[in-house]
Amino acid sequence: MWEFLIPLFAATVQSGTPILYATLGEMMTEKGGVLNLGVEGIMSISALAAFWVSLVTGSPWLGFLAGGLGGMALSSLHGFVCISCLGNQVVSGLALTILGVGLTHFLGVSYVGLSAPGFFPFDFPLLSQIPVIGDIFFKHNMLVYISFVIPVLFWFFFKRTSLGMHVTATGEMPAAAAAAGLKPIALRYFAVTVGGFLIGLGGAYLSLAYMHLWSNGISGGRGWIAVALVIFAFWRPGRAVAGAYLFGGVMAFQLRLQAMGTNFPSSLLLMLPYLLTILALILSAWRGKRIDAPAALGTNIEPEG
Amino acid sequence: MPELKFVRPIHIRPLPEGTQPVVSLKNVTKRFGKIIANDSITLDIYPGRIKALLGENGAGKSTMMSLLAGRYPPDEGVIEIDGNPMKFSSSKDAITAGIGMVYQHFMLVDSMTVAENVLLGQEGSFFINPKEMMKRVGDLAETYGLDIDPAAHISDLSMGERQLVEILKLLYRESRILIFDEPTAVLTPEETSKLFEALWRMSEQGKSIIFISHKLEEVIALADEIAILRHGKIEGEFDTNAIESKSDLASRMVGKEVLLEVNREPAQICEPVLEIRHLTGLGLTDINFRVRKGEVVAIVGVAGNGQKALIEAVTGLCKPPVDTVFIMQKPWRKFFAESTWNRSMCYIPEDRMGLATLRNQNMVDNLLLTTRKGFSKGPWLNKKRAEKDTLALIKKYDIRPGRIHALAWQLSGGNLQKAVLARELYREPRLIIAEQPTQGLDVSATEEVWSRLLEARGMAGILLVTGDLNEALQLADHIAVMYRGRILGMLPTSDKETPGKIGPLMAGVID
Amino acid sequence: MPLKIRKRDDPWKWGALVVFLGALLFSLAISGLLLAGQGKDALEGLYVLWQGSFGNLWALEGALLKAIPLFLCSLGVAIAFRMQIWNIGAEGQFALGAIGATWMALLFPDLPGIILLPLMFVMAFLFGGFWAFIPAFLKLKLRVNEIISTLMLNYIAILLLDFLVFGVWKDPASFGFPMTPEFTSGAVIPHIGESRVHWGILFCTVVGIGLWAFMRYTRLGFELQASGQGSRVAKYAKIRYGMLVMLVMTLSGGFAGWAGCVETSAVLNRLQPSLMVGYGYTAIVVAWLARLEPLNIAFASFLLAALRVGVENLQLELQIPASFGVIMEGMILLTVLAGQFFLTYKLERKHRS
Repeated sequence: MWEFLIPLFAATVQSGTPILYATLGEMMTEKGGVLNLGVEGIMSISALAAFWVSLVTGSPWLGFLAGGLGGMALSSLHGFVCISCLGNQVVSGLALTILGVGLTHFLGVSYVGLSAPGFFPFDFPLLSQIPVIGDIFFKHNMLVYISFVIPVLFWFFFKRTSLGMHVTATGEMPAAAAAAGLKPIALRYFAVTVGGFLIGLGGAYLSLAYMHLWSNGISGGRGWIAVALVIFAFWRPGRAVAGAYLFGGVMAFQLRLQAMGTNFPSSLLLMLPYLLTILALILSAWRGKRIDAPAALGTNIEPEG
Repeated sequence: MPELKFVRPIHIRPLPEGTQPVVSLKNVTKRFGKIIANDSITLDIYPGRIKALLGENGAGKSTMMSLLAGRYPPDEGVIEIDGNPMKFSSSKDAITAGIGMVYQHFMLVDSMTVAENVLLGQEGSFFINPKEMMKRVGDLAETYGLDIDPAAHISDLSMGERQLVEILKLLYRESRILIFDEPTAVLTPEETSKLFEALWRMSEQGKSIIFISHKLEEVIALADEIAILRHGKIEGEFDTNAIESKSDLASRMVGKEVLLEVNREPAQICEPVLEIRHLTGLGLTDINFRVRKGEVVAIVGVAGNGQKALIEAVTGLCKPPVDTVFIMQKPWRKFFAESTWNRSMCYIPEDRMGLATLRNQNMVDNLLLTTRKGFSKGPWLNKKRAEKDTLALIKKYDIRPGRIHALAWQLSGGNLQKAVLARELYREPRLIIAEQPTQGLDVSATEEVWSRLLEARGMAGILLVTGDLNEALQLADHIAVMYRGRILGMLPTSDKETPGKIGPLMAGVID
Repeated sequence: MPLKIRKRDDPWKWGALVVFLGALLFSLAISGLLLAGQGKDALEGLYVLWQGSFGNLWALEGALLKAIPLFLCSLGVAIAFRMQIWNIGAEGQFALGAIGATWMALLFPDLPGIILLPLMFVMAFLFGGFWAFIPAFLKLKLRVNEIISTLMLNYIAILLLDFLVFGVWKDPASFGFPMTPEFTSGAVIPHIGESRVHWGILFCTVVGIGLWAFMRYTRLGFELQASGQGSRVAKYAKIRYGMLVMLVMTLSGGFAGWAGCVETSAVLNRLQPSLMVGYGYTAIVVAWLARLEPLNIAFASFLLAALRVGVENLQLELQIPASFGVIMEGMILLTVLAGQFFLTYKLERKHRS
């Protein structure tokens, strides 16, 4: 039993990590009051940016950074359309996904099948020796270890820093933030770009630590799952971790079944994560209230005077 | 009007010779599109004095204060603080200059705690410690003798408590110039008196207070000096003791002779059109009353004491328990199942723009919103006839701009309310639920709405829910006072004692 | 800054058109830069694009052909968006419609077209409508966000289509290719005369006019528009909002289902994975560009269909990847969104202070 479960759980962490980055990124964006449905597009383009930079410079770390910056660039486009031009947040996010996915195909077509220097698993000193836990959590690549820290930082940022409190106030009631002498527009740009950076790191993970080979459609719906997970997580980082690993688990499980060569049609197996997403939303609706969502989420700040 | 208990400790505080103003506005002008909200205003604010800014809704009071609070810059003119010209680029600059403002709609984040709200933008460091923040705010509240729990979430507080939080903000920032925009709108008479005492004490400590209101009694009771704002201009400035009479003040505010009194001829009272029997639930406790055709029953009380729930239960926005609400002598469920578009119930909500109108659609569509069944034949809609009737209503009620293709958002508050009223009366209702029907309207629109409502008594019974006691006394036959989901008293307006009894009941005090 | 923002007092009459044309120009310019970045001659590229889209009768026919499914999907998207129900699921509903139609075509291959085709259309509507009804139901009863659920159902629908054509419906004579047998003649929508365009275009016209009349002249259509302001206004006006949401979503999915039926029957003559080319997503772009108005949708779907055809030409002649068209779609939509700012606001020179 353990021989099957431990590798499965390890694979869960491995495939849940990009979703975790993206979920936290979207959560950051939404905490500031902006809904960004462009996650799928941002992840794609940043996966490519990371891949390309790593390929050219030979440094996966520079690639990882480039992924984050790529995500930041694309989401600031969303920020410009919604925050400065007051465009509809839903439609702008969709447009961003269309643009991002298209751009990735367009620019990435010549790299299909190539591989760039990436991140590879190693045993984390000491911690990997712990039985079971070590096998599941501490025999991964560096980006997985980084992802362990980010939810904690996320929590700390919102609970223990004034900037985090300002972002929360902007997502809840921009007028109150403005009356307190804050700059809601700037705070929203901050949330959108930092969130975009995190989403971009998730994309970078896909091409540098997960696939190792460039292929089209690399994001495969993970961006959308991340958007759903933010709702599932009630805008709390701890629950985001749980949600991301839940999905990682399903993806790992489904890959394993496929690899074992069951007779079960693969197309039905591939439906699992998507079905689970809907199920997760049904389950989170069970709690019956939506007060956890930032009150001003999805509404733009109209200029005065 | 119920009398204010607040009595000024010293009747006259003369301005010492040579006192320099803390704030001076010099020829300040602000335009919004074609509208000139503030027209070359010049005004001085002195330390240790309370200045009332009196004016009707739409006179430009809030705009002027928003300029002072740094929300937006003036188009022309300068604001001087301590004689130095200032340019505020955001609220932050105004806060730094010592200006603190309590907005009419509180600027508090519901999901955050009192401490977080007070310290928002004033944390003093990048890293914060919730425990230490609570302590800081708790100590501050204690120093000033304010009873408030710094760990409470805003959403759990009453309106009066929320105002305390706003005041705490100003105290924490050590603001020297305190602006209060219609602060009494959400308070009981007792809370109002307490607020006034607090304002007086703060002015004694040397702070300048600007008190914005359109309520004459309050202004006379509290202020040292009064400035009247009308159509964006200062119409007069004088000491409170120079006022000859209340009506003098009123006509200076409005620009014509008004008394805000309507002639309420008694109407013939007929069968009941609304009966509430032992309604408990939805936050309400044992509500009983009835409204008969030909009479007006007013529900008064501080906002948030169950009026919303009562309205929703009657108008069908939410479902009351079985056999508690009877409309036109039918049980609630049966009434709504059989309800027709006309000769039935109509609802004039407080939120005209968000609930009662289609903001991006024209007048015809807005007429059709609740009358569409009267214009349909089978599945089809007779738009030609709707256009004709819209035009007739626009003429009858003088709704401007007088075009049927004007969109709802282009209408001013008064015209929008007239349009809603016109549409709802077009349905020849038997029961009218009017919620804050004159809030935010100017005097002439208010008079028009009042007389139309009184006229409608010929066909309907009216349930009036209002926060304006004067309105209730002017229109209603009976006044019910709501407190924490209960009706504490049903008082006839014909009784001379009634006005004096309302205040204590609003605060939940029963002898 | 010498400029300041001011809200317009009256709507800008030709604003929408100006913004749209401006966005189009801007996007073309950026696309030109993209081509240049790939080492192609930008002007030549844009010329090839133009030639491919509008240059000859063949191109126009191609655009018209692609405009048909786009138009039907967009109509569906638009009525849902009008109610502020964000149906992103046209792609999946399109697939389900195709599956429903194919089922009928495979089940009754010997029926004459006059019976079989209506049967296929009915089934396509039901399948597509059902696929959209699920998120509507989940939204109303369990408050499940419809953006996510419709999107997830897209992925599921495409996998379902794969499952069918790789499995039970696979043509034994297809040498292992995932596709159904070719439809019998009764299941194929005939062409108009000698042209490549088929009679589906007439169907589109009827549906479009029908919907326009429905929105303008019926009470239900009025209630639908009024509900666009949100469920509270609907409740105030005693409109049965929940019922309308389900109706509108079913209609919306049904229209997309029809598009799937038309495309399968008239263009591919069989069900195969290459059916899914993203019409459902382009339809969202079309609907928003057309400001959700049926007549505008006709123009906008033709325009974006022409763009697709033009990009095919670009692909053939200059070896530009097909995703070039997707980029343009995304870019046009983003610029239009940004430009719509000027419909409610304008910039003015600041008064001297």
